[in-house]
Amino acid sequence: MIVNSIEIMFGGQAGDGSLTTGDLIAGVFKRMGLEVYTYKDFPSRIRGGHTNYVIRAQERENYGMADMVDCLVAFDLEAVEAHIEEMRPGGFVIFDNTSEQIPDDMRRSDINWYEVPLAKIAKEELKAEIVRNTISLGVLGALIGMDPEVMHGEVAALWKRKGDKVVEMNVGAVKAGESYVKENFASRPSGYVLTKSVDGDRLLMMGNDAIAYGALVAGCRFMAGYPITPATDILEWMAKYLPRNGGVAIQAEDELSAINMTLGAAFTGARAMTATSGPGLSLMTEAIGLAGVLEIPVVIVECARAGPSTGMPTKTEQSNLNHIIFGGHGEIPKAVISPGTVEESFYFATLAFNLAEKYQMPVFLLTEQALCQSKATLPLLEFGAIEIDRGKMIGHNGNGNGHGKVVFGEYKRFAHTDDGVSPRVLPGVEGGMHLAAGSEHNESGVITENVKNRAKMMEKRMRKLESMREDLPKGNVFGDPSAEIAIIGFGANRGPIVEALDRLAAAGTKTRFLQMRTLWPFPDDEVRDFIKNAKHVFVVENNFTGQLDRLIRAVVGPLEHMHSVRKYNGRAFRPIEIIEPIERALSSTVLART
Amino acid sequence: MTAVLTPKDFATATPSWWCPGCGDYGVLSALKSALADLGKNPKDVAFVSGIGCSGKISGYLHSYAFHGVHGRALPVATGVKLANTDLTVIAAGGDGDGYAIGAGHFVHAVRRNPDITYIVMDNQTYGLTKGQSSPTSQTGYVTGTSPNGHPEAPMNGLAVALAAGATFLARGFSAHPKLLVDLLKQAISHKGFSIVEVESPCVTYNKINTYAWFKENVFYVDETYDPTDKVSAFKMLVNEGKMPLGVFYREDRATLEELANKDATPVVKQSLNGDLNRFASIQDQYR
Repeated sequence: MIVNSIEIMFGGQAGDGSLTTGDLIAGVFKRMGLEVYTYKDFPSRIRGGHTNYVIRAQERENYGMADMVDCLVAFDLEAVEAHIEEMRPGGFVIFDNTSEQIPDDMRRSDINWYEVPLAKIAKEELKAEIVRNTISLGVLGALIGMDPEVMHGEVAALWKRKGDKVVEMNVGAVKAGESYVKENFASRPSGYVLTKSVDGDRLLMMGNDAIAYGALVAGCRFMAGYPITPATDILEWMAKYLPRNGGVAIQAEDELSAINMTLGAAFTGARAMTATSGPGLSLMTEAIGLAGVLEIPVVIVECARAGPSTGMPTKTEQSNLNHIIFGGHGEIPKAVISPGTVEESFYFATLAFNLAEKYQMPVFLLTEQALCQSKATLPLLEFGAIEIDRGKMIGHNGNGNGHGKVVFGEYKRFAHTDDGVSPRVLPGVEGGMHLAAGSEHNESGVITENVKNRAKMMEKRMRKLESMREDLPKGNVFGDPSAEIAIIGFGANRGPIVEALDRLAAAGTKTRFLQMRTLWPFPDDEVRDFIKNAKHVFVVENNFTGQLDRLIRAVVGPLEHMHSVRKYNGRAFRPIEIIEPIERALSSTVLART
Repeated sequence: MTAVLTPKDFATATPSWWCPGCGDYGVLSALKSALADLGKNPKDVAFVSGIGCSGKISGYLHSYAFHGVHGRALPVATGVKLANTDLTVIAAGGDGDGYAIGAGHFVHAVRRNPDITYIVMDNQTYGLTKGQSSPTSQTGYVTGTSPNGHPEAPMNGLAVALAAGATFLARGFSAHPKLLVDLLKQAISHKGFSIVEVESPCVTYNKINTYAWFKENVFYVDETYDPTDKVSAFKMLVNEGKMPLGVFYREDRATLEELANKDATPVVKQSLNGDLNRFASIQDQYR
């Protein structure tokens, strides 16, 4: 019997309701006090094409998929065909057998099969074809021993807005599913039971929502963006909430425009952001260089997806780390921070605006599809405690920490300072008129190609990378500090790596893990210290060329036992995919057997 | 008491990089006069320019000036205006900047109708890269990139803008300063997106569209012309023959910032701390 731990996959055709059904069960599990993580694996089209939505619930911290699927809710045969190999022995399938049957060669004997004519029940008994998916929730709930009251309550809450009739119809559908199990499968338990019933006061939030919410709380009042998967959620969220909080969100004609609008708004002093994904970032790259040389604070959220070109828009990847860090002609100071959980996504969004304004540079918030479009449970957010630090800003109307006036001729927008940061005046302030030019300029902003000035200006701007070090988020270290096996990764891989760590420890292999949260300026000391005394170093990342691995090698030099663990098929790591390469590498060295 | 402003109040100490005789001097001088006549304070003027000879103009106007990347002056200017409606926002650039690399933004800025003024300094060539053909070059123009004569038809930027929904359209000539000042004043005073295309000859590279050529080939629309009639404006703009100058079209329409932000306080002057109760109610939706 498996208690309070399950990974459920809803599979069917895009647009047939897998997402709604999955979200609903995620809400129920949250209500039961379980830790929930969801993973969207859908095609880049509106209707049709196989889609699946994974909901994982368990009692421990949960930020990733399990090794295998416990329960597959298959709305068609294609879903079974596509995922039968991913099923855990002892798991079970709920299959709609109204119009298709499971062929014998697909019917694995090590899993339980529950065939229910969902569509038929919906049509003939309930006279509502639309509730087919909701019936499956009743079937599922009954098979895993859930409290029907919790399920009914959640279903009612979801459809409350649509009126009593719709609520009644859906609760009725759940009950029909429950009855079907009682009548047909009473003698065949699934082997899973989810009974926890105490909900702490928590949230269930998607990574992209957390970023947008964090930005709003941090004082972001301007966003320009262009729809692109998987970043669009952020623009939609901001379009809803910015106008009612004194701000503006605008959908630009392309990403070139989005980033330049963002620069324009930031130039006036608004806390401004854009959000995009790979192809959009490629278009923005020139203007990000401009932000660097104009020393304009902007926040750029990159929701990474599988590239290159169109690649796989709805799939996850960490293949543009190099692009973010090194992209663009010329050299500018920029910071790249990367959250590993939905909660961190919120706090890093708030931090990004402080970093951008304090150091007057573009700041990247790097996330990826496996995190930004996933929902997870998290504690309440401390939005009231967010401090806003605008750095050396000379504002107007009391909206700033400066004196609101400078003396023309004395004030220098790009003045040389010890930390590289010059007082920034906002348009409208008396005496601060100057030219902000993408051409090389002197302290006053006047364009010049003077050789001494050029060298000094480069040094001034790049000095900010050093002065900001203390303000950048340190990495999280997990596991046994004395372990000789060290793992490094970032972003969404935090979840599966932490889980791998625990399971390796339980099996007697001590490891430790550095979740890097600042990727640029590269935290040389942090990485060097972490690797010191390690016999084996495993770098885990979602790309082909080992981009993080190479950055680390550049800092620490050649290491005998440095291993690159990479996944580049568009899907997130499962813990076993981290455990196995570590075990393989260890078994081939003396260390593992001593 | 506010001192009376003069064009000198908008001058910078920066020496010009333009060639002697460049039409852009006339544009700059007319812009300074227009701003002074309208009583604008340099601290409240945001001036965004593109790249090219004309793009350099932002360095010569005492204001909050922004000299960005090639072709993107209008998105920057739109962002400035959306964030701070208290500013007078002017964008400027050449025919290449606005009608070639920036053409995508041009039509959308026009369509959105933010309250900004866009000056297109049209010299029918790429000057800063030493004389290649541009979107407004005449067919047959011989340059380094068109050694057998430019094989393309010139673009009619103002007609494109009219089709895209422009609410103020005008054309001036940099050698007619008084009339240009008047056009610029009308454009800056217009509530909404105003375009002033200024014929600004390149004395170094363009030996076709010279001062003499313009003097022979332009005429001003007369008093009988009705600039509120869109169909007449189209006819005027697409008419074969001499090039018309003057105000071709004006229309009163809600601006982008009026529609995008109902709050009278500019975005940049809002408190960043926000309303904690409101933030709490957002969080509640995820409980």
